[in-house]
Formats: sequence, structure tokens, C-alpha cells
Amino acid sequence: MKSLLTIVKKEFKRFFTDKRMLITIFLPGILIYVIYSLMGGIVGNMTETNKDYKPTAYVINMPDSLSSVMEEAFSLQTDNISEEDAKQLITDSKLDIYIVFPKDFTTSLGSTPTPDVKMYYNSASTNSFTAYNLAMAFLNRINTSAFTINNALEKFDLAKSSDVSSQILSIMVPTLMFALLASACMSVAPESIAGEKERGTMATMLITPVKRSEIALGKIISLSCFALLSGISSFLGIIFALPNLMQGMISVDTAIMYNVGDYFLILAIVISVVLALISAFSVISALAKSVKESAAFISPLMIVVILLGMGTMLLGSTPAVGYYLIPLLGSGLAMASIMSFSSSLLGIWLSIISNLVIAAGFVVLLTFMFKSERIMFKK
Amino acid sequence: MQEILVVDNLTKTFKLSRKQQHIEKTDKPLKVAVDKLSFTAYKGEIFGLLGPNGAGKTTTLRMLATLIKPDSGNATVSGKNIVTEDGEVRKKIGFLTSELKLEDFFTPNYIYDFFSDLYGVDPAIRDARKKELFEKFGIDKFAEVKIANLSTGMKQKISLVISIVHDPELLIFDEPTNGLDVLTAKVVTDFLQELRNQGKTIILSTHIFSLVEKLCDRVGIIIDGRLVALDTLKNLTVEKNIEQVFFDLYASVMGEYRV
Repeated sequence: MKSLLTIVKKEFKRFFTDKRMLITIFLPGILIYVIYSLMGGIVGNMTETNKDYKPTAYVINMPDSLSSVMEEAFSLQTDNISEEDAKQLITDSKLDIYIVFPKDFTTSLGSTPTPDVKMYYNSASTNSFTAYNLAMAFLNRINTSAFTINNALEKFDLAKSSDVSSQILSIMVPTLMFALLASACMSVAPESIAGEKERGTMATMLITPVKRSEIALGKIISLSCFALLSGISSFLGIIFALPNLMQGMISVDTAIMYNVGDYFLILAIVISVVLALISAFSVISALAKSVKESAAFISPLMIVVILLGMGTMLLGSTPAVGYYLIPLLGSGLAMASIMSFSSSLLGIWLSIISNLVIAAGFVVLLTFMFKSERIMFKK
Repeated sequence: MQEILVVDNLTKTFKLSRKQQHIEKTDKPLKVAVDKLSFTAYKGEIFGLLGPNGAGKTTTLRMLATLIKPDSGNATVSGKNIVTEDGEVRKKIGFLTSELKLEDFFTPNYIYDFFSDLYGVDPAIRDARKKELFEKFGIDKFAEVKIANLSTGMKQKISLVISIVHDPELLIFDEPTNGLDVLTAKVVTDFLQELRNQGKTIILSTHIFSLVEKLCDRVGIIIDGRLVALDTLKNLTVEKNIEQVFFDLYASVMGEYRV
């Protein structure tokens, strides 16, 4: 155990005192921030709301007290539309808001049962979301304890779960995140394993009484910490870029609707992905005779990693639980599910566990490889 | 005399690739690098393994150092088996060879502590020993210079010091003076004698006759993987010097001088 710490400390010293290596930690985060913000900016420009736009509303049983302000703020539909049609129009972004007041709303205020106002909107449409916030503000001017809004058990946000920003996010985040994590892993694993083998420094360590398993674990723990820092940097890049990315697509309110728990889950997924990647890359590096060969061996795997990240979008928003068990793909799905507010806790944990199992398997394999003279000493 | 290293019928075979077969001018797919090697080294002696390049010296040393496993035969270091108790053997030996390199990103000071800790040396003993060894070899002035920036001789001296951080009872040195200038080489050979006087056992692999004559108590001559002579230096060199002994043996074993 003491030797394990000694090895971890050495690896830390090796990487954290090397300026070139430090760049690999922080660059991805900065890159993500810049790229996401730019993307958000471009998309935002395309979908920016026109300030003179008057949202369309269809109101049933409009109370007299509200009619003047509503008429001023909204372009009110006067044709009779069925409830079904109105909802469809909202989903299709042809109508911004559909409000149903109970009959005799003004007189029934405060009575039992408490009157409930229904407001149907589409959070994926900026106009609809603005209209919803506007109507909300008007209603809040009335005695809010005397009635409720959207208290019934039905769906009021008519945005399709498969569309909107969450879809874009769920595609982009895992793919980009995986690519960055994989490149962070690639910058350290070949150097630390194949590099030490190539330079003959690994043999110097193998001549000491330290157990091979401690060397393997020590390497993987320290390399993972390094790649993880890089991952956290990427992760912070995403968090800080989210409001920029979301601009004009959904309101900033929604962007920060990811709560601490969501971020914690994303972090847990990222950690498990890093462990799986580092251990896989380490095993491949141990097979290679040189850093160059190791990089060549890992390249095809990088493509697989990125494809697995992209696999998220092919499987749609509600994949079977079994997919979560596929390493990396499962993590992509889990991450996407969190970002699109439809997280399945079972799926998330399954994906984390599958990554950890893979990582443990590779650590055992690496230990055996360190014991193999064919692998360690064949020129 | 106390037996420290007992080598018993040690054998190692390597597979040859087609290319290697072509180079070696053979159609046999296997090459016996070390062929039933047996010898014993005692406490407080320098045992020389003399042989030409490719005779199997390095392969033998690598087996003794537990880096590779013998195909058959065995060896023990102070009673510990190199195959079944390799961890224990590693605690007892120090191995110096040009194959084992030090990470040149670090300083001698750091790398000394790193290896000392891997061997589980107590920090107080570690620091005292480091001070003594660094002063003896003049490493103290370069203790905080990255190894990458040091001279070949200094690197070799650091490698030597690192190989004995744990004060091992058996030292295996593979061509320890290769590439060193005469001054540095003398520091190293003097140190080997000093270690012998301390009661350490040293296996010295070399192809330099003068080194054998100067240092070794007993000598084993390896040619083509086999031990063709084993005796004290004194007995071997009664009639002729070690160089002549070697060439005569080589001629009788291989039939002719082959380059």
C-alpha cells in the first residue's frame, strides 16, 4: 500500500511539474467554453425573438378584470378552436399560449374547490415561453392564494421531448465530452506506460520488490486523476457555456434548471468514463513497444469512443435499459438523459457500474501484463 | 563458505523469427541462449561471468534478477527461489545494467528517495545512506539537476547508487564500466572492492579481461550459452593469463574464431 502511494506521488510529480502536461488539463475546458458559446451565439442569432413581436394567445372565459391588459400584451385569437386543436397549434408553434379560466373565475376566487387556471405552452419555443412568463406575471397580480395555476394532473408544457435544445445538448455533450476525455487520456497513458517501457525505466521499477498489481493500480489511479482534472475542466467549460449555448433556444431559467444533483450525476459518470478509458488505454500502451506505436494503437479506439458518444442520438430519448450497460455508450445515454430532464437513475447507475467493471478488469489485465516477460521485455 | 547464490541447470530458450533465423544463418526456430548453467557464488566474493557478446550473460543475469523466467532449472538467492519467491529475491539483490534506465525528468535526489521508498527503506536510514553515497560518488553537487542534463558518467554513477539503495547482499553488475572514462571506471571498480570487503557478494558480467584479472575471485567462462570453465582466478591463470585462457577455450569449443 505504501509503495502504491509512492508510485502515485511519483506520477503526480511527473505530470504536475511538467508545464506541457498542465496545458492538457486546462485547454479542453477553455476550448469547450469557447466552442459551446460560439455555437450558442450562432444558434441564438438565428432564433432571436423579435422585440416587437406580440405573442398569440387563445383564452377561454377571459375575466373582465384582465381583458384590457391581455389585449394589450397578446394578439388574442377570436375564432373558436377546440381544445385539441389549440394544443396542437401550440406544439406546432403556431399559437403561443392557450389559457383556460374556470367559468365565473372572478366570483369563485377563494371558494372551495379552489379555481384552477390552465395555461398550455411550449417551452421549446421562445415566443411561447415568453408568453407563458408574461401571462404568469399578469396572473400573479391577482390574489394568488385565491386560485391555482396548472394544478391539474396533465401536461401543460406541450414541447415534444424529442425536439428542442435538450436534443441538441444530448447529442453534443456526450460526443464532445468523450472526445475531450479520450484525448486527455491519450496525452498521458502512452507517455506513462509505453514511454516508461521504451525508455527502460519500467524495468527499473519491475526490479524492485513492489507488487505488479501496485504498479498497475498506482499508474491507473494517478493517470485517472490527471485525466479527471482535464475532464472536470471540460465539465466546467460546459457548465459555464450552457447559458450561452442555450440563448434564444430556451430561457436562461431553464438552462439553470439542472440542479446540483444533476451535476453530481454527470460528474460521477465522467469519473467512471475516465477510469474505463485510462485503464483501456493503459493496457493498449503496455502492449506497444514505444509511445509512437501506442498512439497508433489507440487511434482506432478513439474513433470507437467518439462513435459510442454519438450512438446516443441514434438510440432516441428512451432506449432500453440494456443499452446503459454498454460501456461509454451507456454513459452517453445517461448523460443525455440528465441533460434532457428525463434521467433514469437505474440507467445512470448501470452505466457507471459497467464502466467501473471494465476498469477493474483492465487493471487486473495490466497486472498480468506487467508480469509477462513477452510483453515487458520483447524488443 | 556461505552460499549466497546457487544456480542449478538454468536454461532459457528464445524463439527466433524468420528474420533472426536468416541473420543467425540457421533454420532452427529456437535458440538456446542459456544452456544448463550451474554455479555457486559465496559470501564476500566477486564472481566474474566472462564471455563474448551474445554468449548468454545478460540473459542469465536477467533470470537471476527475476525479470525473466527460466524454461527449466532454478536458482536461489540466500535460499529464496527466483521463480517461486521472486518478490523476496528482489529484496535481496541489486541489479545494475545498461538496460535499466532512470527517468531523466527527475533529479538524482528525488529518484533516490523514490526507489528507496519502493524498497521500504526507513527514511532516516535512507537519508544517511544517500548522503554517504552521494558524497562518495560526487553526486551531491548535482543532486538537484535533472538527470537528463547530466553526463554519461554521472548517470552511470547514479544508476549504481540507485541499484544499492536497499543495501542488498547480492549485487549483479552487467558491464558496470562500459562507456565510462578511466577516472569514473576506477571509482566504480574501487567501490566494487569495497563492497566485497563489506561481505557483499558480487556477480560481475563482463567481456573485459583486465577487469576480471583486477577484481574477480572466481570466474565462470560462458561461451554459446554454456559454462565451459569454472574456477578461481588463481587456478585458471596458473600457466597463462585470462585472455589466453579464454581464447584457447573459445577455439576448442567453437572450433575456430568466429566474428
